[in-house]
Order: sequence, then structure tokens, then C-alpha cells
Amino acid sequence: MSKGIYWLGLFAVLLALPLLAASPVSAAKPLVIGMELAYPPFEMTDTRGNPDGVSVQLAKELGKALGRPVEIRNMAFDGLIPALKTGKIDLIISSMTATTERARSIDFSDPYLSTGLCLLVRKSLPVNTIAELDQPGRTIAVKKGTTGHSYAAANLKNASLLVLDKEAAAVLEVVQGKADAFIYDQMSTYKNYQRNKETTRAILKPFQTESWAIGIRKGNDELRGKINRFLADFRRSGGFDRLGDRYLKEEKEAFRRLGFPFFL
Amino acid sequence: MHLRLAGVVKRYNSIAALDGVSLDVSEARTLVLIGPSGGGKSTLLRVLAGLEMPDQGSVEIDGEPLPSSEEDLIRYRRGIGTVFQAFNLFPHLTALENVTLPLVQAHGYQRSAAQAYAMALLARFQLEAHAGKKPFELSGGQQQRVAIVRAVAVKPRFLLFDEPTSALDPEMTAEVLDIIAELRAEGRELILVTHNMGFASRVADYCLFLSGGKILETGPAQQLFSAPQTMELRDFLGRVLKY
Amino acid sequence: MSSRWANIFFARRKGNGEVIPLYGRAVGVVAAVLLLALIFSFAFSRLQYGWDWSAVYRYRQKFLTGWLVTLAISAASLVASIVIGLCAALAQRSIFLPLRYLGKIYIELIRGTPLLVQILVFFYVVADAFGIGNRYAVGTLTLALFAGAYISEIIRAGIESIGESQLESARAIGLTRRQTYRYVVFPQVMRRILPPLAGQFASLIKDSSLLSIIAVNEFTLNAQEVNAFTYSTMESYLPLAVGYLALTLPISLLSRYLEGRYRYAS
Repeated sequence: MSKGIYWLGLFAVLLALPLLAASPVSAAKPLVIGMELAYPPFEMTDTRGNPDGVSVQLAKELGKALGRPVEIRNMAFDGLIPALKTGKIDLIISSMTATTERARSIDFSDPYLSTGLCLLVRKSLPVNTIAELDQPGRTIAVKKGTTGHSYAAANLKNASLLVLDKEAAAVLEVVQGKADAFIYDQMSTYKNYQRNKETTRAILKPFQTESWAIGIRKGNDELRGKINRFLADFRRSGGFDRLGDRYLKEEKEAFRRLGFPFFL
Repeated sequence: MHLRLAGVVKRYNSIAALDGVSLDVSEARTLVLIGPSGGGKSTLLRVLAGLEMPDQGSVEIDGEPLPSSEEDLIRYRRGIGTVFQAFNLFPHLTALENVTLPLVQAHGYQRSAAQAYAMALLARFQLEAHAGKKPFELSGGQQQRVAIVRAVAVKPRFLLFDEPTSALDPEMTAEVLDIIAELRAEGRELILVTHNMGFASRVADYCLFLSGGKILETGPAQQLFSAPQTMELRDFLGRVLKY
Repeated sequence: MSSRWANIFFARRKGNGEVIPLYGRAVGVVAAVLLLALIFSFAFSRLQYGWDWSAVYRYRQKFLTGWLVTLAISAASLVASIVIGLCAALAQRSIFLPLRYLGKIYIELIRGTPLLVQILVFFYVVADAFGIGNRYAVGTLTLALFAGAYISEIIRAGIESIGESQLESARAIGLTRRQTYRYVVFPQVMRRILPPLAGQFASLIKDSSLLSIIAVNEFTLNAQEVNAFTYSTMESYLPLAVGYLALTLPISLLSRYLEGRYRYAS
């Protein structure tokens, strides 16, 4: 009997050791930040598969400012808000536009970037405005869940809509001539045009301006305040300029030449 | 019928199931093949049924050689009736449909004519109550009797039976053998492979004893059973008639 | 325990089969459903989720349209897949060797690669090369080719399960090869493959949701869009589950009914 108790006691101690070892380490809960790593150079993966990009660096800086380790969670764009609402992630930093519709479900920080909806058009198509594209017989591609999708669903009465899962698929539709135009944000439209110069044209003057912000679960005003303070400090200290130089050097130069204000 | 075989050889891989079989029989209404398992009786029957082509040798029935092209063989098979030991009937068709299938598809009968004729035949053999049943609802004996009706319905030149009662119990064996005896009494020509020596001795005009792929003894049935000439036949009969 | 109570909850063995009275069946189903409902409501109550059905109700037309499109695509590709499966099964038994091996390669390729990849390749590469732009037609054909490979294996197994003795019987009564297939083999094959075929059809209906990646306006895509607009994830996806069940359940029930009708034992 006493031998049994001896072994039981040893077993319990062995089991408890890892717990004892773990507790002195930082009590700070990791900050889980959700983003879709399919949007270079804001959200992407490096060659070794680790998250990288403007938003990732921003997230890391935010973590440092809040004193919490940061965990990046990759998920589909239209799954971000549900994940935030159910507590699977703590913040959304995924180049998400702050819209009134979305603000009914979640809170947003102050905007940190201003951009707008632009058009990637089939090369041979001589249109210049979104109004010209809203004709019967025209096909507009959008990415599911984006502001381009909401705009198109709400405003395009005559053109038919192609709702695609991935940015790459939507671009392919335009390149192959299956869609007349792709509504997406200004910077991506520019990059997609750069990659497909023979088959596409870019209309880079936004027909709807929007700004990106960080998504926060409702009822976390204290956290929101801290994040806003961080954003202000980061901008003042030139953090955004540094990110622009590191990830968007070429675009910065191109936009300067085109006469568009750089948005970061 | 006049049956003439000359040097028929049939090999499966390297084994000769029929190893030079020669025969000349005329005026045999009921021919019975007996012998040990693997001796070649079933193979010979299958050759006569047009289901196997001999590798060597010739087969002539009533002066006509057995066809060699598939097209002619199909026509030949349609002209005779074959009943196997088991699994004759198609499980998804009723007894009546089993009988009418060859009539309609292979012999060009109109469906209604085929059904009437088939029903009449089934009635003749006391099977009309089972006409609408599927094979799994019939006993082994009833299944074999339906198979016989199917074989008879196509008005064949002659009938072939490959151990028709080997898978049946004694009572069902009797009911099937009764039919075969009846067909013989009608004057039909039959070639029968059987283990049932009592029946063989009763119905056979002519008997063949095959062993090791060769015909070891032939002759009128009575002669073979009462006075076997070869040692093999004597041994065989001794074993088979023991119980 | 009195036997009356025992009969309500337990099946009674009789010979080789079972005896289940009607009230036993009813009680069993109700009890199972209640148990599941209990588990689900417990799970959902733990979720801090603000249910809002009104947002989704506004979009009910989208759900209906999507469901009808899925119904149409599923029906069309179902029929086409049977034809393709039959051709592939017969091709593999053909005496013309290139045809036989074409069939085998088709089956290995289709069964060995993900449907997602097949949809993307067929639409963006193959169809584009031939200038075919209709995504509904291409999507339906892709689904049919996909299911066809599995169906051809089901049919092939069915054909091979027909005993040699039956083919011998058919030969003996003078049926040609074609007649044997038509009157002996196929009627039996059709009955034997009903259960796996029904399973394949149910899979096809659910797999059609993958066509959303080429922007085919089917049921799943519409539900996802509604979710994107309203952020009511549960309220968007639960009707989706019910909608698919409404399509797959009839197939399952029809298959069971047909199996019972054509039972002939072996």
C-alpha cells in the first residue's frame, strides 16, 4: 500500500513539473490578430512561409506597444468578422475598410490608410467610368466580402456580377476577357495592371474613397483607446513612412509620378 | 442422331481434358457419359454444346461439322437445349420470363405468343403455379425443371444435360429424372452426363465411359453395366455402385 | 421490465430478422431527435451569439435562386455522369486497346486529383483554350466528369459481380454478347449498384458547392454572399444545411425504396 502511494506521489509531481515551470513566464496573454495572408505587400507570407507585410509589421509594433506577444492567424477575408465576434481572434488588421455596415457588428480604430475603389479593365474596352460599365451585357468581377462587392451589389443595376473567392481568380477573369472589369482597391489594381500589361488597363482614380482601420470586438473601448494612441504615435514617429519605404517603394514612386497622393 | 468424333483434343493450359477422343455412333437416342471427375465428360458435353472449340480433331453431328465461326456457333447453340448442374436461371427474371427470354430474343417469337406457349409448357410439367416466381423462391428441383422447360421450349434438335441432379437431394433428384425420362419417352434425343448409375442404366441406349480424357469403353448401356470390359470401368462401377 | 415497455425501446429478434412495432419506431426516432436537439441547443447556448434572422430573411430570394441553380446543376451533371460512367466502364472492357487505356487513365487522373483543382483547370485553362466561356456549362461538365469516374468504377464492380455461370447460361441459350449485356447483365447491375450510386449522387450534390470558386451562382455562394453582407454566419449557413438536406434526402429515400422493390436475393 505504501509503495503504491509512493509511486502515485512521484507521478503527480512529474505531472506538475511542467506547470510549475510554465507559470513564472510572462503572464501576458498573446494578442491574436486575424488577417488573410493573400494580399501582398500588406498581408503575405515570405519565402519560408512566415507571415510578412505592412499589416504584419504593424501588428508586431502594436504588440510591443501593448506589451503582449502577437500571434498572427491566417484566415479567409470573409471569415474575419465572424471570427472576431466569436472570440477566435482579438483584432483584425487585414486592410479592412471601415464601413457603416461592418460597424454594426464590430468597432473600428481610427483609420490608418486612405484608398479607394478602382477599376482593372479589359484592355480593349474603351470605358473610363464605373457608370459606363453599368450597362446590360457587361460583367463586373468582385472579390467576395470586400467593399467592391458591397458597392457592386448595391449600385450596379444593369451589369451582371461575378463573385469570386480570390483576387487572383478575379484578375484572371479580366485577363481572359470573361469579365469586363474588376473592382478592387487602388494599390492592388495598380499592381495587377503592372503584372498584366498586355491584357488590362487600370483606372486609378478612385470612384469611391475608403479608409482602412483595425477591427475590434464591440465593448472594448479601453483597448480601442490604446490602439488609437498607438496609431497616432506610430505615425508621428515616422513608422508608416518606414513601412512605405520598406514594402511599397515602387508604388510610392509610381503614384508620385501619376500625381496621386500616397495613401499610407 | 449420328455422332462422329475423330481425334478430338481440348487443352486447358497444359492439361489435356480431352486427349484424342474418337467415336462413331448412330441410332443412339439417349447417350450417357459416365466416368470419374475430371475425366473429360463435362468437357466433351461442352464441346457438343458449342461452348468450347476443340483444339484438334473434328466433330460431326448428323453429317454436319460443328461450326467454327462465332456467328454460326450462336445459331448452332440456339438449335439445341443445354441444362447445367446449377445456376441455369437468371435470378432477376421470373420462371416464365426465363423461359420466354430465349424464345423472344433468340428465336423471334412475339412476346404474347412466347408467353402463351411457355405457360402451356410449364403447365405440362406441373409448374404453372410457379410461373410468376423468381428463382430464389423455387426449390432446387423446381429450378432445374424450369431450366429443362426452357431448354425444351426452343424445339431443339437434341438436349444436353450436365449432371442435372448432382446438386439436388434425393426427392428433387427423382422429380427431375422423371422429366428426363418423360422426354426420352417422347422420342427426344438426349446426351446426358450423370453420376446416377441407376438412372443411367435405365434410360441410356448407348454409354460412353471417359477417363483421363479418353473414351475407354463404349457400347450399349446394358452391356457396359453388366459386363464391363476394362479394369478402369470395373473399378469405377465398383466404387460408384457400392452404396 | 414488462415486455410491453421492452418493445417500445428495443428491437426484438425473430429468427434471423427483427420485429419492430410501429410505436417502437416512432418512439425511437423522436428520442434520437430530442437527444440531438438537446446537444445542439446546449452547444448554441454556450455561444455568445446574437441571433438575427431578420437580416437573412431580407435576402430570402438569393437563397431560393441559389437553391434552384444548385438543383439544376446537380440534376444535369447527375444524368451526364451516368452516361460518362457507363461509357468509361464499357470502354475499360473494350477490345480496342487505346480506348481501354484511355478509360483507365481518365479514371486514375480524376479520382486521384482534387475536384477543386479540376474545376480551376477545366475552366481557366481547358475551356478557355477552346474559347468556351459559359461557366455553368463547364462547371456542370466538370462535375459530371468527376462523378463519372467514380460511377464507372461502381458500374464495373457491378458488372464483374455477375457470376460467370450466368454468362455461360446466356451463351448456352444462344444469346449474342449484346443481348447478354442487355437482358442479363445490365438489369442486374442496375439493381446491385443502387446503394453506392445513391451515395455518389448525394456527394455530387454537395460537391456542386465547389463551383462557387468559378463564380457559379449556386446555393453555397449565395449563402456566403448573404453572410458577407449581414455578418449573420449561423443564420446564413443553417438554411444552407437544410437546403442541401432537402436535395439529398429524397435520393436516399428513393434508393432505399427501389432496393426493397427489386430485391431478389442471391
